[in-house]
This record gives sequence, structure tokens and C-alpha cells, in this order.
Amino acid sequence: MAEATQFDAIVVGSGMSGGMSAKELCERGLRVLVLERGPEIVPERDYSDNLSPWQSPNFDNVSEDEIAQRYFRQYPGVPYALKESNKDFWVRDDIHDYVEAEGTRYEWLRGYHTAGRSIMWSRQTYRLGPQDFEENQREGVAIDWPVRYEDIVPWYEKVETFVGIAGSEEGLSHLPDSVFQPPFELTAVEKAFRQRVEASFPGRNVIPARVAHLTDATEEQRSLGRSNCQLRNRCHHGCSFRSYFSSLNATLPAAERTGNLTMVHNAIVQSLEYDPESNRVSGVRVVDAETSEARTYTSRIVFLNASAIASALILLQSQSESFPTGLANRSDQVGRNLMDHVSGAGAAGIMRGFDDRKVFGRRPSGGIYIPRYANITETDKPYTRGFGYQGGASPLGHANGQIPGIGRQFKESHRRPGPWRISIGAFGEQLPNPDNRVTLHPTRADRWGNPLPVFEVRYSRNEEIMLEEARKDAIAMLEAAGCEEITSSPVNLTNPGNRIHEMGSARMGRDPASSVLNGWCQAHDVPNLFITDGAFMVSAACQNPSLTYMAFSARAANHAADLLAEGTL
Amino acid sequence: MKTRRELLRELIISVGGITALAACGDAPVVVATATGEAGRFHTPEEMELMARLAELIIPRTETPGAIDVNVPGYIDGLMADWAGEETRAAHRRALAEIRRRLSADGGFLALDDSEAEILLAELDRAAFAEAAGELGGYRTFKGYVTRSYFATEDGAREELQWVAVPGRWDPDVLVSDRQGV
Repeated sequence: MAEATQFDAIVVGSGMSGGMSAKELCERGLRVLVLERGPEIVPERDYSDNLSPWQSPNFDNVSEDEIAQRYFRQYPGVPYALKESNKDFWVRDDIHDYVEAEGTRYEWLRGYHTAGRSIMWSRQTYRLGPQDFEENQREGVAIDWPVRYEDIVPWYEKVETFVGIAGSEEGLSHLPDSVFQPPFELTAVEKAFRQRVEASFPGRNVIPARVAHLTDATEEQRSLGRSNCQLRNRCHHGCSFRSYFSSLNATLPAAERTGNLTMVHNAIVQSLEYDPESNRVSGVRVVDAETSEARTYTSRIVFLNASAIASALILLQSQSESFPTGLANRSDQVGRNLMDHVSGAGAAGIMRGFDDRKVFGRRPSGGIYIPRYANITETDKPYTRGFGYQGGASPLGHANGQIPGIGRQFKESHRRPGPWRISIGAFGEQLPNPDNRVTLHPTRADRWGNPLPVFEVRYSRNEEIMLEEARKDAIAMLEAAGCEEITSSPVNLTNPGNRIHEMGSARMGRDPASSVLNGWCQAHDVPNLFITDGAFMVSAACQNPSLTYMAFSARAANHAADLLAEGTL
Repeated sequence: MKTRRELLRELIISVGGITALAACGDAPVVVATATGEAGRFHTPEEMELMARLAELIIPRTETPGAIDVNVPGYIDGLMADWAGEETRAAHRRALAEIRRRLSADGGFLALDDSEAEILLAELDRAAFAEAAGELGGYRTFKGYVTRSYFATEDGAREELQWVAVPGRWDPDVLVSDRQGV
């Protein structure tokens, strides 16, 4: 039987947001095609989470020569995650090339396969707060968000209930609580740090990191084959327990069990076809990654969830008489305002007095989080917006031999691991700037004929000042907590893209002249086109964004289904 | 359990007896070198020095030591399969510097444990006293020894009490409670 090519909806991309779009559309009864540009991941075959240390030679490190030849852009940003046994989760830089404008750097870290980067993420999960939707307008930065926090709350709640997030209720208005499962309790050192910092800095909080791991799986989660986190910290290799959230562990199985999902792998979307008579996307043109065969799928609505950058590239590649600079790009905002978070400032120090303490279990993803306080509870800052810190405490005895001593005492120090070191690092908000953009290279193309992306992204003075202040604040908090031997490297801003939170390349807004999407993530220019990956973001906030992408995806998918049901689309 | 001398005599250079992937290739290569030969990267003299250092840094106690679990073989595999030219050269320079500092050519390798420990402990103190000096290579080597040891099954399971599936999180355990990680 020939492969079906007509569907109610096509979702481009199976990662964090694409999985959620597909699930919601399938559950609304639509026949959905998910196009994934990479190969299929089969957990039983492709996860390496069950390997023990002695089953992975060379500490599971990819050889230095191979990194230099194949992963020269991916590896520097994620040495903790890109290993020999899971390296196929990451794209090869020698195959998936791009261009950086002169004098700029960009790290585009990617995974092309089922579930995209949702199987490689680090799982920190936070809501945006009310201020994050209002500050652009208040400060006259870029354009106003067309929605407010309250509009998104029901969708946060719906998504969080499905995803499963371990966290503690703190009642902070600027970092609202999610629907939580029990948190991973802080260590004794982290609790002492919290108490001392909060006493010294009223208005600053130290809370358990909020992470997308099951700690009290619901019936719905168990019905999808998911179970509670087993504290192995093997998450970057996949999870056979399906404990952490990924599309592969949760949304795609949920979509599949509706019977409405068709998934096609190795399908690289080249462009969207546009019908000027109906003013609709009329087809999705793909090239097969393995055979280079071209084909077209059609549907009533299209969701772009290819990632903020790839979705913008697809639009830019979709040129027609009606849209000579790219589909849905009458505002000239497609590819612009590319944002990420910025790090490169932090501090670490030794907390004495806890040498008789250790932990059991290997806690996944983070220990503490210090929510943004700058320009919220403290307003004396020489910069706008702010940053949150991620960090944690661990015993120094686990420092890979970097402690003095030899012989029995040294050997056994690893089971008597004190003293403890605590470290915190800032994640700052990058302001939108239309000159920070991705465009198509005029002549160079990849092996499938798609133009190479060209990145031109620079930080502003605000980010530079902010991170200098974040370093000072980090040192001050460690000092207040009684840390000794405090170390803090000079600020060295991470390259744009390094935080893997790229966003903003097809922003939403009220005015079609200055934005690509309306408040429902629906293209102003093309009503049956929705974009719900990070492209829609109008500002970056400083929180890890995946939860927000998923909440907007669920909201947009249900809105699109409503419009179809009404006959509006 | 065999004696140190027996083990050194029988040292098989291997990576835990399992298969490693060749650098940059897809063909599996069994990593093994026969008794008494040079390593795949190291000279016999370097192997001998590494073995002595590893044994002093992580000796056999109630649990296996660095020689019992073949740390020198692990490091040889690391240099042969993982390290690039720069890292290899730095490692070789580090071993040469350690050899010079310990006067290894002048009898260090023949000293008994207590005498050798005194000399190595002095070098170790010096290495950790200076911020970034010429003994940085020793610290890196010590890191290789430690990581290699705990990356072996005996090092992980017996000494570190490593368990594959902890199943729960206890953020505050008294050290006197003998419990895995």
C-alpha cells in the first residue's frame, strides 16, 4: 500500500514541542503526521543507560581526534553529555555544517532523531513569571508580548500534570510553582547554604532545582510505561525507566495510542508550499535523508516544531511570488531576534563542618536554584532584567583525584568524601535584538541542497554588565554562607547558542507589521501555519524554556483544533 | 589474592578485557598486550613507572588496589585510543618529570613500599601546594589513576560500594553508615 500523504495536521519535528503538539492534536481526533529529519531511536536498542562504568572504555570519552574531526562544535558545549556510548545522539559537525559571520561565534547544538533534543536535555523545568510577559512593554524593549502569564497558566498546569516535575512549593510570585511531584531534597550543605544566604539577602531564595523527573508517578504516567526516577544519573544516555520526560518517553507514546499518529523518519523538510488563492500552506516538501528522494505531504494545518533555528530556516527557504523573502515573512522578522541564555559567571567554595555527611543515590540534574532577584526584589542594578543561578554541593572527595595524599588514606577518602564544595553559575537573560539573526547562505548548501545557515549574534553591553554583577553576587553569597577557598574565574561569556535555549526567530505579537505570529502562535500571514518551538518567544526570560514551549504548544494545538472544528480553517 | 610481584609479572595490558572502539573508526579493536611487552602506547619503562606509582597512590587494602584492577593497562588504553597527540605528549612529559623528580632511574623503583611512599608523598605535597607549576602533569596523572581505578568493576563495586540502581535519594547520610553511592 502506498504511504499516505494526506493528513489533518503535519507536525515538523518530534522534539520537546513537536511531541506535545502531536499529542494534543492526536488527542483532539486529528490524523497527524510527524516528520522527523533524523533516524528512529529505539530505546531497547539505542539507549546506553544500563552500561556500568567498567563497560565503557576510556571513561566513555569520545577520542580527542574524533572530537576534532566530527564533534568540534557540539562537544565543547556539552562535554558532560556527549560520550562514546551516546555520541550518535548528537549531530556530526562535519556533516551538519553552518557559517558564523565574521567576528561572531555560534554554537548550534543538536540531535537529529526521534524526540530530538528532548532525550539529551538537562531537564531543569521552570515557569516564566508574570514579569517575563510584561517587561518588554514596561521598558520599551522590542515589542510587547500579545499574551500575559494568566493566559498560559491553565496550559502550564495541563502540561506539568502530564510531564511530571519534581519540585517544592515556594509561593514565589516571580517564579510561580508548578504542579509538582515531591522534590529531590537538598543535601545538608545545600540546606545550610539556603539558610545562610536567605538570612543575609532578604529577597533572594535558594530552592531545590525543579526537574522533569518522576518521583511519584501518576496512573497516567504509569500507563505510558513510565516509573519513578531510580537515581542513576544516566539521563543523557536515555532512560529505560522512562523516568525523565522526553517526547520518546511520554508525548509520542501518548500520541501513538490514540491511533491517529503517523511518524516518518529521515524526512528533511525543505520548504512549505503556499497556495495564494486559499492563502494556506498547501504542502510540505521533504527530501529523504538517506535516499535524497523528494516528496510532498499535505494537510489542513501545519505545525513547525523543528527548533527555533530550523523552523526559521524552513520559512526562509519557502520563497514564492507571494512571499519572496520567505513564507510568513512580510514583517521581515523571520530569523531575527535570535536569543539564548548567557552564562560564564559563577563561583565555588568549600563549606566546612559537613565532613561526616554524604549522600546515597546519584541525583539527576541539579541541586539548587536561585531564582532571579535582580530588578524584582532588588532594584539597584546597573543593568536590566536578570539571571537565575543553578548549582549544587558535592563532596570534594569525588574530585577525580584532585586532592592531596597517597595510599590508604587517599584511597579511602573517596568513601569519606568531605569537605564539600558548593558552586553556583548564572543563567542570564539575553535581550532581543533584530540584528541578531540567522539567514541563508547565498551559495553554500548541505548535501541535501539546503542552504547553510549563517549566524550573526552578538551580546549587548547589558549582558556583559549583568554577568559581571552575577559573578560579584555569587562570591558575596558564598562569603555570606561561610565558604572558604572561594574560587571564581573571570567572566567569560558563553558563546551564543551554548546554553541550547535558542529562541525568538519568529516572534509573536499583536501587529503583523512587526511580528510573525499572533498570540496563538498562528502566522499572521498564513492562517493554517503554527510555530510553537522557541521561535515564538518575544523575550527570553532567564528560566529554562522547554516547559513554556510545551505549554504554548498545547494551547496552540487546541486552538487550531477548535478553529478546524468551527470551520474557520 | 596474588602478591604484587606476581601481578606485576603477569600484568596484562587490557581495558577490563572488553572491546573498545578504535579512534575515529567503526571497527571494534580488542585492546590487549601480552605480558612483559610494552603497552600499546607506553614503553616498558613507562609501564613499570606507572605501575609503581599507581600502586602507591591506590594500594591494596581490604579491597583491591590499582595493580589488582590493572590501572596501568587502563591508562595505556586511554593514551592509545582516546588521547590526541597533544595529550599524549603532555602525558609523556609528565611521566618524564615524575621520573626526574623521584630519581626513578636511581633506585626509586627498587625501594620498598615505606621508602617509596615517603618520596612520592613529598612529590604529591609539592604538586598540590603549587597553583600551576611543572607538577601539573603529576596531578593529571593522579587523576587518570583515580578515575581508572573507580572505573573498574572492583574499584567501583568493592571500594566505592557503587550500585547500578540506587533506587532512592538520601541527601544526608552519616559517613559511618557504610553505604554505596
